[in-house]
Amino acid sequence: MARIVCEQLTKRYGASVAVDALDLTIAHGEFMVLLGPSGCGKTTTLNMIAGLEEISGGRMLFDDTDVTFTPPHKREVAMVFQSYALYPNKTVRENIAFPLRLRGTPRAEIERAVEATAAQLEIAHLLHRRPQELSGGQRQRVALGRAIVRQPSVFLMDEPLSNLDATLRLSMRSLIKRLHQNLRATFVYVTHDQAEAMTLADRVAVMRGGLIQQLDTPEAVYARPANTFVAGFLGSPPINLIEGAAEAGAIFARGDFRLPIAVAVEAGRTLTLGLRPEDVSAPGEGLTTIEARVELVSPLGSETHLEVLTVGQVPLTLRVPKEWRAREGETIVFGIDPARLHVFDRTTEARL
Amino acid sequence: MQATPRRPVAPRVMRGMLLFCFSALFVLYVAGPVAWLVSSSLQSEAEITAVPPNWLPPSPSLSNFEAIFTAGERQVTYETRRQGDAATGGFLPSGASNLLPSLWNSLTVGIWVAVLNLLLSVTAAYAIAVINFRGRRATLYTVLATRVVPDIALVVPLFLVIRNLGLINSVGALVVTYLAITVPFTIFILISYFEGIPRDLYRAARIDGCGHWGALRHVYLPLSLPALVAALTFAFLTSWNEFVFALVLTQNVEAQTLPIVISGFIMDFTTSFSFVNAAGVIAIIPPVLMAVVFQRYIVSGLTAGAVKG
Repeated sequence: MARIVCEQLTKRYGASVAVDALDLTIAHGEFMVLLGPSGCGKTTTLNMIAGLEEISGGRMLFDDTDVTFTPPHKREVAMVFQSYALYPNKTVRENIAFPLRLRGTPRAEIERAVEATAAQLEIAHLLHRRPQELSGGQRQRVALGRAIVRQPSVFLMDEPLSNLDATLRLSMRSLIKRLHQNLRATFVYVTHDQAEAMTLADRVAVMRGGLIQQLDTPEAVYARPANTFVAGFLGSPPINLIEGAAEAGAIFARGDFRLPIAVAVEAGRTLTLGLRPEDVSAPGEGLTTIEARVELVSPLGSETHLEVLTVGQVPLTLRVPKEWRAREGETIVFGIDPARLHVFDRTTEARL
Repeated sequence: MQATPRRPVAPRVMRGMLLFCFSALFVLYVAGPVAWLVSSSLQSEAEITAVPPNWLPPSPSLSNFEAIFTAGERQVTYETRRQGDAATGGFLPSGASNLLPSLWNSLTVGIWVAVLNLLLSVTAAYAIAVINFRGRRATLYTVLATRVVPDIALVVPLFLVIRNLGLINSVGALVVTYLAITVPFTIFILISYFEGIPRDLYRAARIDGCGHWGALRHVYLPLSLPALVAALTFAFLTSWNEFVFALVLTQNVEAQTLPIVISGFIMDFTTSFSFVNAAGVIAIIPPVLMAVVFQRYIVSGLTAGAVKG
């Protein structure tokens, strides 16, 4: 069992605040992803959970035990690092066995556990090698092995896939997801890659400047981003954010570009309008019709990305089915559902 | 396959010859005095002082060494010293019998200094390099500041301290003094070495279940073997070769080290080159052995493959 509770968790380096009064409860068995750009405090938060960073303020509980001042080796957490952090002077076997050896596990049992772990990760044939003789993907498997061999109740992962190439990243991502399903342990996973966050997480905490911007399931964070930052961070290609102002009758306007919105806003309020690239369709009933000139066509096979310029010179990126055979320079007409538009206050950046 | 174009031959030959000449000069510069030391230790006094000099011993003989190892059994006085071994020029220096005890003193001091220096420096360097405690920088600068003062300026104050501690003329006095010289420097070297070890390895060790001692033992020590060996050698050699402090802090055979006793041979009524040189050869054996044994540990690249490069 391991439920992680962060209460008003704060980390200061001199005058700068890396993590600012963070409140976060991670349920037992949950896969929590901390998502954000570099410098947002996600790794610092992870390190505080691990016990590798001293906590400047607030407290941390594992289940009901206060671990705020507990050193890392007494917290029973396992961690996987972006850099793999394998001991270069030890073989793969010794690397994986190391946490068990430190716990005084009997030799035969260590042997059994190492073999089982290696088999699970398909690295049994590498046990006698040293880390420098392994490829990046193999090293990361060994690092995973070193983490799971102790069967801890908390797994911490600090951008474990960032150093791998794209193909390997996909297979390792599924491997990590399967591990979570098999082990049912609590996972805290730090990444700046929104695809990893979306595919892996039970819940995502999107962070910026040491603060959690939004904490919810990936679907909810994607569908109803709490502010322009979250909206802009999730989604590929990224959401179209258009700055403008409200006009009477629930109309968003930027010059000649005018769109009805589903939110009641007093006229004159400055807004940022968010339109997901995929939230466009053929014109139809209940949809706002938009006319735009196609500037660039990027066919991806399964779908096509269009860069268009609407009336009022608003540039938009659209993700459309491959059947839309648009050509550069053509004018296309498409429909937008007002209910699918995201409306944010331009000053506070918050969703309206 | 196309032949790779080769550089013209003449410059390559020139380059090789230049490199060879400079290497030869350098070897001559470094090894020349040692060669003369060894060669002359196998010659008699008359052969050493001959003009032109005998670069190689005309009739190599171990009698100088024999004289050293039997000196302890002989009473050397003003009257008897001329009846010494013929190979030494017919006399023994009056301090000759102190040579073997001083060799032992030198070894004792050197080993203690090498070992204690490592114990003190490793723990201090680990603390300063790895643990983020308040006053960490101040500690480092304080330690380093002690090495800014020239040793010679410390002779009198140290003498007073050692005398007041009642340690004058003891091996302990030398060990303590030499540690004051070697520890700050070793800490400095080890800190930069420890800081070069990827921080994630420390983190991984802590997560895997190591406390600070465990991280030191399982990560920092194995990965800094070259630096540790260098520190060990440095401390031993510093202690082995030190002269000024030993001269001031020790008075007799109880604690005097090799350099003091050997220098005494020169300040005697006359100088026995053969005896001094034979003692010199004995004095360079332990450091040379040490270098031979340890040089294979001084290899780099131990941390390759630890983290993504």
